[in-house]
Amino acid sequence: MTVASVLVVGGGPAGLAAAARLAESGVAVDLVELRPALGGAFHRRPIDGVAPWPVGREGAKRWARLTDDLRRPRIRIRLRTAFLGLDGSGAALLDDLAAGRVEALRPDAIVVATGAVERVRPRPGWELPGVSTAGGLQMAMKETGRIPEGRILLAGNGPLLVALAGQMIAADRPPVALVEAGDPIRHPIAGLGLLAHPRPLLEASGHVLRIFAGRLPWRRATTVERIEAVGTALAVTLRDRAGRAETIEVDRVALHDGLLSNDHGLPEVDDGAPGRPIVARAGDCREVLGVAAAEIDGHRAAEEVVARLAGAPGADAAAARRLAHERHAQQVLARVFAPARLPVPVERLPRETVLCRCEGRTVGDLVDLVDGADAPGGREIKLSGRFAMGLCQGRFCAHWVAEAAAGLRPDAPAPLSGDLTGRRWPARPVSVAAVVASALPPER
Amino acid sequence: MVSDVVAPPELRVAVVGAGIVGVSTAWFLRRAGADVRLVEARAPASAATGSADGAVSVASKRPGAMMNAALAGLRLYRELAEAGILDGLFTTRSTFLVAVGEAEAAVLDAQAERLASVGVEIERLSAARLRTIAPALSGDTAGAVEVRGEGHAIGYDITRRLIRTGGLKVDRDLVVRSLRRGSDGRVVGLDTDRGPIAADVVVVAAGGGSSALLGLDGVLRARRGQLLVTERGPGLSAGLPGAIMSARYLLAKANANGAEPVSSRGYGLVIDPLRTGQFLVGGTRENDADRAVADLEAIAHVLADAVALVPGLAGLRLLRTFAGLRTAVRDGLPLVGRIPGAGDLWVATGFEGDGICLGPLMGRAVADAILGRHGDLDLAPFDPARFVSGRIAA
Ligand SMILES: Cc1cc2nc3c(=O)[nH]c(=O)nc-3n(C[C@H](O)[C@H](O)[C@H](O)COP(=O)(O)OP(=O)(O)OC[C@H]3O[C@@H](n4cnc5c(N)ncnc54)[C@H](O)[C@@H]3O)c2cc1C
Repeated sequence: MTVASVLVVGGGPAGLAAAARLAESGVAVDLVELRPALGGAFHRRPIDGVAPWPVGREGAKRWARLTDDLRRPRIRIRLRTAFLGLDGSGAALLDDLAAGRVEALRPDAIVVATGAVERVRPRPGWELPGVSTAGGLQMAMKETGRIPEGRILLAGNGPLLVALAGQMIAADRPPVALVEAGDPIRHPIAGLGLLAHPRPLLEASGHVLRIFAGRLPWRRATTVERIEAVGTALAVTLRDRAGRAETIEVDRVALHDGLLSNDHGLPEVDDGAPGRPIVARAGDCREVLGVAAAEIDGHRAAEEVVARLAGAPGADAAAARRLAHERHAQQVLARVFAPARLPVPVERLPRETVLCRCEGRTVGDLVDLVDGADAPGGREIKLSGRFAMGLCQGRFCAHWVAEAAAGLRPDAPAPLSGDLTGRRWPARPVSVAAVVASALPPER
Repeated sequence: MVSDVVAPPELRVAVVGAGIVGVSTAWFLRRAGADVRLVEARAPASAATGSADGAVSVASKRPGAMMNAALAGLRLYRELAEAGILDGLFTTRSTFLVAVGEAEAAVLDAQAERLASVGVEIERLSAARLRTIAPALSGDTAGAVEVRGEGHAIGYDITRRLIRTGGLKVDRDLVVRSLRRGSDGRVVGLDTDRGPIAADVVVVAAGGGSSALLGLDGVLRARRGQLLVTERGPGLSAGLPGAIMSARYLLAKANANGAEPVSSRGYGLVIDPLRTGQFLVGGTRENDADRAVADLEAIAHVLADAVALVPGLAGLRLLRTFAGLRTAVRDGLPLVGRIPGAGDLWVATGFEGDGICLGPLMGRAVADAILGRHGDLDLAPFDPARFVSGRIAA
């Protein structure tokens, strides 16, 4: 009997949990991870010689559990390997970055567990050097064990900023200020919902206590209106709830406005067509519910795939209940962090505001493109407007462009972010030499 | 350029298909004052037009009806660009037909003769001269022919611009199920998913969807092409002064002697340096492939050929792959003209790998013919009557 083979894409908690559970069920697993180490976003491993960033007792236990479970036969782990998508023949394409070679696999199923991408609201100046995402800053801290030099401002919306500020204070390098569009401590009633979730509650209160103890300027109900370069520094203009402006000078700005599933360009959950692999999703890439949910969802996806390989439907009520609990935690957090004022719709930002950083396309370019008797659809906005056409292939701009276009043309069907990104391989840029090498037999 | 014929007041024309051909036809009709409905199953340029290379080229053509049409197509692009309508969207540059080895050099020479005989401006380049002009090319080339005054236009950009400047509005996501006919068999409009559309004149420019509407079984076939785009390579662009076309394709054509290619997957090679600094590389010519999808095997093959000719490409990243279905006619010539015995029913399709080059030209020719104006393009070789006799089956 031939053993079924499953490709698991992504070495975060969801991917690791899925791989372990699949192997336990007797399936042969290829687990691919783009980075040089497993871990994903939350459990990002440090580069050699750097001490791991503390992830708390709960986190340490989870990591130990995930990696223990991974020591099973039948799991082949391939680091520095990128999944490029499914090609027209139904093959799963892998970019082996170390070997410099693209390889085609024909697994029976694929579990896509590629995590989340950060959402960063475009604002004038967000494309300037020195501006990064808060998650990007956090990853760099976990990998290098260091916080970059200079005065750092954290700004945007959501609990990740609070956690990052807490971590920076704990490492004795507090940010200059934390700017938050919501007003979390004004929502005690909504916050009560968190009592059902002692673990995140405890974690969050730890960070909040550190913020107060460290006297960190925490500007709530305040947004970053624009960022300007002043010599090598950045002048950041804030606007508070009362409409008052304030400008502060810093060296770096880390922005964050929430998380989105990272499914750009990846194959959709399969339609059961013969000759194509079963495609399932797990973790933040299916629904952004955080690290604890990712582990549960990895197991759930593995069981779904095993059931479907055996020809059964594969729904798991117990996992669904546990995920509903995690979803509730996220909903409470979303209420607690609800922005105090509605943000300016993207399409009403100043014309010169950059929307697509790769190709330098602006709000004005989009306004001009969609104007006229005929409102272009998502794919036309991409192709003729060159939005979501650059190296990032729309990861950062596609949803904002879609939202702005919908706002500009309420008379036309709203374009979807997926219309702009498309689902064709390669899901990320791949070296021409590596594609050419795919036709040659592998060197052993 | 833009004909001065005026449409009869309230002439209602329904155009099926918003590829480059349907949009061009609608544009010229609208300019003449007709009341145009442009009906599209998905979105403008969502089929062949949005997946094409975009060479506006005569370099690989043999003298005859298609060569004449391509030359006229090229002239019209130039005029539309000069008139500001296609401003910035039509790039002129040379095509370099490049030969590797004796056999390719021989067919190249014969092609140079043919091009010169119809007045195309060419220059034969020795291997040494080619290296100075196009240093990015590999040293293995045996020489080249530079075909001057050729151009490049991106199908979806042209389509978008025409929709814009023509003030056209496309009925999107609207599938035409069949043509509506009167009791005498004459066409009176369309039946669509959202109800009937009445029209005095119907133009079917529906690419591969045309056969089902016209009942032309076995006349049209799909020929898939797979292409790719790389990231920008500024250094490399500087060493490639125009499009590079491998003469191997000419050799394959010469050997096949007009017969259909035996293998179902043929490879040609064109490397086009785009305005953006990126490279568009193509492609395949595949029979019996009905899905517009790209696969690793074909893309790797095309890239391996491309890297052999332009080694610097190996240092770039591949950004996008795509595939499109060219609509080809059994005898290799497009179908353009009036369908006999069906009233004011017109067709314009079957341009295979030349529809970007010919789209605006054919749009104008069809508009002129509908309005009773005698254009300068002879449509006789493309007359659909060669496949349709009398009243067609409804
Ligand atoms: C890979 C490739 C490379 C190419 N390279 C070049 C090149 O370098 N130079 C060149 O000149 N040409 C090139 N071509 C050819 C060119 O793309 C086509 O000849 C041209 O786009 C055809 O345009 P069209 O408007 O006839 O058809 P299409 O663009 O196919 O448009 C037909 C439209 O009709 C719609 N439709 C179909 N059925 C219905 C229905 N029942 N109801 C409503 N709408 C319907 C479709 O959705 C579609 O949008 C290439 C083609 C391919 C695939």
